[in-house]
Amino acid sequence: MAHVSVDSLKVIYKRPQDGSSFVALEGISLTVEKGKFVTIVGPSGCGKSSLLLAIDGLIPPAEGHILVNGKEVTAPGPDRAMVFQEFGLLPWRTVLGNVRFGLEMHRRKEIDLDDHAMKFIRLVGLDGFENYHPNQLSGGMRQRVGIARALAVDPEILLMDEPFGALDAQTRENMGDELLRIWNQEKKTALFVTHSIDEAVFLADMVVVMGRGKIREILNVDLQRPRTLETKDTSNYIEYRRRIRSNLRD
Amino acid sequence: MRKLARYAPVLFGVLSFVFIFIVWEMTSRLQLINPFFISSPTEIFKVLHEQIISGELFENIGVSFTEFAIGYGLAIIIGVFLGLLMGWYKVVDYALDPFVWTLYSAPIIAFYPILVLILGLGKPTVIAITFKLAVVLVLVNTASGIKNVDPLLLRVARSFGAQNFELFFKVALPASVPMMIAGFRLGVGRALMGVVAAELFGSTRGLGAAISYYGGLLETSKMLASLIVVSALGVLMTQALSAVEAHFDSWRTGPET
Amino acid sequence: MLTRIKTTSKDWLLRAKNNRLFISTLSVSIFVILWEVLPRAGLVDVSYISQPTRVLAAAFEEMFVEGVFWGHLYVSFIELAVGFILSLLVGIPLGLMIGLFRKARYFLDPPLMALWSTPRLALIPIFIIWLGVGVESKIAVVFVGSFIPIIVNTVAGIRDADISVIQAARSFCAKKRDIVIRILLPTSLPSMMTGIRLGLGRAMMGMVVGEMYVSTKGLGYQIMQYGEAYRMDQVIFYVAFVSLSGFAITNSARNLENRLLKWKEG
Repeated sequence: MAHVSVDSLKVIYKRPQDGSSFVALEGISLTVEKGKFVTIVGPSGCGKSSLLLAIDGLIPPAEGHILVNGKEVTAPGPDRAMVFQEFGLLPWRTVLGNVRFGLEMHRRKEIDLDDHAMKFIRLVGLDGFENYHPNQLSGGMRQRVGIARALAVDPEILLMDEPFGALDAQTRENMGDELLRIWNQEKKTALFVTHSIDEAVFLADMVVVMGRGKIREILNVDLQRPRTLETKDTSNYIEYRRRIRSNLRD
Repeated sequence: MRKLARYAPVLFGVLSFVFIFIVWEMTSRLQLINPFFISSPTEIFKVLHEQIISGELFENIGVSFTEFAIGYGLAIIIGVFLGLLMGWYKVVDYALDPFVWTLYSAPIIAFYPILVLILGLGKPTVIAITFKLAVVLVLVNTASGIKNVDPLLLRVARSFGAQNFELFFKVALPASVPMMIAGFRLGVGRALMGVVAAELFGSTRGLGAAISYYGGLLETSKMLASLIVVSALGVLMTQALSAVEAHFDSWRTGPET
Repeated sequence: MLTRIKTTSKDWLLRAKNNRLFISTLSVSIFVILWEVLPRAGLVDVSYISQPTRVLAAAFEEMFVEGVFWGHLYVSFIELAVGFILSLLVGIPLGLMIGLFRKARYFLDPPLMALWSTPRLALIPIFIIWLGVGVESKIAVVFVGSFIPIIVNTVAGIRDADISVIQAARSFCAKKRDIVIRILLPTSLPSMMTGIRLGLGRAMMGMVVGEMYVSTKGLGYQIMQYGEAYRMDQVIFYVAFVSLSGFAITNSARNLENRLLKWKEG
């Protein structure tokens, strides 16, 4: 059974002031196997974030179904966790407080929250910063907190909405490597939204190319892991990139 | 040498007051302006000394402060309560907004005679007026704090399965604290003004009452003495609250986002 | 803001709940109706809170039958106008000076802060002693009330001037005088306008309360007179008038502020 299964999904946004509506997603169907890293790429406004939010259960489908492990998604749940582009850290909490947050929401009483949180703080390499506030951290560090927070609730599926979008190019590259290292270790199913074709190909097992609310193409990326700088020079990589770019162009 | 530069503002501040006092004293002694109108620092100091000894000063301060504390305290309790409701529930906001605005812009002192009729002369009326002046600021700032919570934070909490009450208590409320405190600070100034103004009109005890009483008797020195005490208290309170605000602000300011 | 869709049968409810005008008007209407009806039903004593109909009658009587309203309005207006203009004439230059010269700021800031922290209504008695019970003392109250926000905001406006713009100007060989006139002044304009708007509000309140305390003519004077005679209908009329004019004036000030400052972002 597929881990995540989306069937003919349609998402509509409605404005409460004047009641006008806007179709964000139409006819979206895709399946994601367990443990795979899937990237979703497309230009701004193509609906890729909406897809992620729908899978997370934050917005309801107008038509169609989303199934996780065969069960329909109706609301956020402990099997999925999300990492946001603008980090979304609670500024009045420390790093530790933030990483604990998801666990508190899920009411995990049987474990020691601080201990558990520290494990993931160490995992993302922020050991020693647990008592810092977000405003004392750099962008890359803040996003690591976001990742730690999501991982701490031990979700089956990790949803990431342009997590490196607010970071500079250098940090982005480093974070990408970091992410793959962590993903490899934790063995989650990952859905990663980006508008960078490079990122999309480099990180993924499967690339979903989107445009204007629809899926244009689904690409299986057959590159060896672990992915390194050299991978970017292989002809396969370049070919994948070219295909996606030309697909996005029309 | 560098240490001196850091304390320059304080130094200048003190110098400034010293300078003003000296000019004031000179003007009075040399009769450049009739001392009847402006008194002089030495006179006022004498008066304050007398009032401290006779206990009058502390009695006045005590009365005014009690009225202030009760009125301001009530304003905070009700202001925060209604402010949170108005900030969280749009319907409440829309329904109460016209009344809040009216309360703010209408000069409550105008209802002084009626308030006296209902509540009695002296303390209760003063408290009512103090309350009215402060409550709107606290309310508006609290509501604003809740309304302006970063929607991203709410979405994040929801994505981790937070229920409505958790969204409120764990995200919206903490996020609105800085604005709430700003409201408290603004409320203090107005509450103080309310106490003094209300006392001016018809109390028998308290700093404002003293100002009015001595003013009526044309006893400039005694009047100015009370006035200066009021001023000093105002400065003290504003500074204290600014310090509190700065403390809570420590997690807000920081490097670029 | 985008939100989830709801089933269409509840659509109108959602629309109504989100319509500020509708809800506000509804609640105010309910209040006015209760205000009118409760005294009629004998549930509340009308001498405490009057009634909408009585207030309207009082307004009519005051403005057209007796005609005294206009004389008092005139006096109050003069006090407000003169006091406010004075505060502009003193406040803006003073604010600019403090903003531009750091030494001046150190010197003048503490007394100004002390003045700001002082409830200016407490200054009313001293103004009465100095200037008598006529319009002069009220002008003084208006002046003190409004010139402080003007100064404070003007200073803030100058201090917040964007350094990069100043540096750019310098790189084009702008002299100090040019920088002051062409950059600092325009930059401080928005804050200055805010200060002016705030000052206006405080000016109005100062005028009314000052008149209520001691005066011979003016809107505040009338309020006090009628208040002591327990004519709630007239009191409410005058208070409403003051409120509404305050609202109208600050609103026009705000519109002016917005229009003049279309270029200011965020």
